[in-house]
Amino acid sequence: MSAGSDFRDVPACVDEHCITCSDEGLPLRIVALEGDGLARCLADGSPCEPGETVDVQLVGDVAPGDLVLVHAGVALALLEVADA
Amino acid sequence: MRYVDEFRDAELGRVVSAEIAATVDAGRHYKIMEVCGGHTHSIYKYGVDDLLPPNVELVHGPGCPVCVIPMGRVDDGIAVARNPEVIFTCFGDMLRVPGAHGTLLDAKAEGADVRMVYSPLDALRIARENPDRVVVFFAIGFETTAPSTALTLRRAKAEGTANFLCLCNHVTIVPPLRALLESPDLQLDGFIGPGHVATVVGARPFEFIPHDYGKPIVVSGFEPLDLLQSVQMIMRQLAEGRCEVENQYARVVPYEGNTAALRALSEVFELRPHFEWRGLGFISQSALRLSAAYREFDAEVRYAVPNVRVADPKACQCGEVLKGVIKPWECKVFGSACTPEHAIGTCMVSPEGACAAYYTYGRFAREREVV
Repeated sequence: MSAGSDFRDVPACVDEHCITCSDEGLPLRIVALEGDGLARCLADGSPCEPGETVDVQLVGDVAPGDLVLVHAGVALALLEVADA
Repeated sequence: MRYVDEFRDAELGRVVSAEIAATVDAGRHYKIMEVCGGHTHSIYKYGVDDLLPPNVELVHGPGCPVCVIPMGRVDDGIAVARNPEVIFTCFGDMLRVPGAHGTLLDAKAEGADVRMVYSPLDALRIARENPDRVVVFFAIGFETTAPSTALTLRRAKAEGTANFLCLCNHVTIVPPLRALLESPDLQLDGFIGPGHVATVVGARPFEFIPHDYGKPIVVSGFEPLDLLQSVQMIMRQLAEGRCEVENQYARVVPYEGNTAALRALSEVFELRPHFEWRGLGFISQSALRLSAAYREFDAEVRYAVPNVRVADPKACQCGEVLKGVIKPWECKVFGSACTPEHAIGTCMVSPEGACAAYYTYGRFAREREVV
């Protein structure tokens, strides 16, 4: 779903949670770094390829495979570092 | 999913539930407030309250950001959205919150360009794609969500996207908690602290609760086992005569919070002198506005907003629900005139709102009880 498209067009990945609330802290896996403090992330096992762009500036240096807690498009915490 | 499934183990849940039952004093009634709407949602969704002894009552707090937005601010948003050059963006739940003369969704139906986004970054992208329009992001949320707005405004400033504005309604969690603790309406024994707000601000800002008011608070995660364990930790504090800030959600929450996020917040925002909360009235220094350095991105500077205080509909008791004074089903219009499809009050709009969460999950358990 592209940003700002029709509000009824809810993607399958979206649970019934409210995005503005803390409940929407989702553990997402970094798939690729996109530069400029951004990374493409996807929930483990999610069919929603290619994932979503997340701002990762608040969690220090991260790499593909790391697991981050994402809220409203921003990674707020680094949950797990990928095996080297 | 990692970090989720292991916190939904039913067998472990029963063990913790039995521990809670063994810890409580049978002759005492306990009132524990879960501050965050996300907790309210999880409690009803997983039936956490059914696993607690009958003398342990969970009271819902003011931590649903959609629910606490007063009607006047919705009207301010609609007034901005009606400007023909504006593309008005906000999170989905906000679209259905009624102001004095309808919702943002109604304004959209009447021709305003109102669009749902999943993050402020989406709104910034719309601004880049529409340089001849003005894109306004209606920012709501506690300290969990404010960093997302702050980082996006930093990006807009760095790249010079001048057609991106923010109508800021971010709120902070400590002042309403203090207001609740000062309220004679409600006598609470302890708090389940908001886990993801604490991811940003840390556990330290909650120290005033044990220090000034002598109540325990446990910062909690959002899975059913997190909540059960947090109740158990509060009960243990009460049984042992302790009161302190404990961090059940240590796998995510550092005691000092996320310093990079706090730096971004202090750069982009400043405290408003006062802000109106639905149900709680005006609370000093309880909300954020853009700092002087970001004034050029402030929609309230660019556009005249009505800024009129609008009383809630008489039938609506969201205020009492938000303060935990009444339960959702005790509201006169709950489930009849007010449903998630046709909400009168905000608590029925957002899935995190106590009324919507109860309408979706809890009422079935209550029907079983009544039968």
